[in-house]
Amino acid sequence: MTAIATIASPINDIADSLGANDLPYAIPVHPNLVHLTIGLFAIGIAFDFAGAFYPLEKRLFRFLALPVTRSGFHDVGWYNLLACSGISFFTVAAGFYEMLLAVPLPGVRSVLGQTAIDTMLWHAIGGVAILLVIVAMTIWRGYQRFVWRKDLGRQVTWLYLLSGAVMLLLMGLHGSLGAWLASDFGVHITADQLLAAGADLNEVLP
Amino acid sequence: MFELLPPLNDKNLPWLDVIHPIVVHFVIAMALISVVFDMIGVLTGKKNLFEVSFWNLIVATVAIFIAIIFGQIEAGLANPYGASRDILNIHSTIGWSLAGVLALLTSWRYVARQKNPTALPRPFLALDVALAALVVVQVYLGDKLVWVYGLHTVPVVKVIRDGVLS
Repeated sequence: MTAIATIASPINDIADSLGANDLPYAIPVHPNLVHLTIGLFAIGIAFDFAGAFYPLEKRLFRFLALPVTRSGFHDVGWYNLLACSGISFFTVAAGFYEMLLAVPLPGVRSVLGQTAIDTMLWHAIGGVAILLVIVAMTIWRGYQRFVWRKDLGRQVTWLYLLSGAVMLLLMGLHGSLGAWLASDFGVHITADQLLAAGADLNEVLP
Repeated sequence: MFELLPPLNDKNLPWLDVIHPIVVHFVIAMALISVVFDMIGVLTGKKNLFEVSFWNLIVATVAIFIAIIFGQIEAGLANPYGASRDILNIHSTIGWSLAGVLALLTSWRYVARQKNPTALPRPFLALDVALAALVVVQVYLGDKLVWVYGLHTVPVVKVIRDGVLS
């Protein structure tokens, strides 16, 4: 334990080229890519649900005079998930780069009672695991679309939809860990880092 | 009367975490991917991509109104300071405008789709570019409120409550 405390963080070697937010640029990239990963995954799964329950919704859409096709819904499910898969590699890559440069505020605990490093480690491992599941589900989704269920109206199995719903719950928890790294631990937030350094925001962030 | 309102936590929120940044996932991702699929659809001639971008546009349009509701509540509780006041004003103005822009784009798209779902009117692509640009600017402003000014983060809320920052 004492060994770690006496070795200064390697981030200090490049401190000159980093801003007050501990990044070489003002706005972190990872949280912005996360919008795309979560939005595309959630809406992709939602539209596969819409395609699966199409026989129930048919009359409603006819009532609304909105022409709808079942395959159209499943197209959204497929292409959104495909896009999610591609983009999420960059989400995870940016996350790791920015996590390597993270300097969380000391002595803080999240609402789950976790320390900053616990939250970071869970968020890191969880991020890689979620990426793997997203890619695996995309391959699974592709086989259903082009091979196994090619001739069926409902393009996805109930197990696939259940997996998607469970993943969304896990992504909600995972995203909360990420949110706390910012809102509670102050990671890469200029104002929080300046306050921790004892600065007066009225002067340095006018 | 104020005692009827729910108590605020250490992020000055009546709920655990900010909700607006979560709802905007569905505006940002769906609006941008709608533009991307329109482009790919035109370039590759894959007509069913126009259906994918149509539905994504619908989701973005519904989501932005929910985003505005939570955005207004959380902006009202944000206690912006310094230049973040101006940024929040511009972010709010563009946010409401974006709701109008998305609603107009979606209604035009609906009419065009009723006539021919396999074709995209070419001028729509120009508006797509404008929509994407507007979304990117809006995201950048929202990012500044969070990542530079730290609104609704524990340390900033604390100094504001202590009266150190205004």
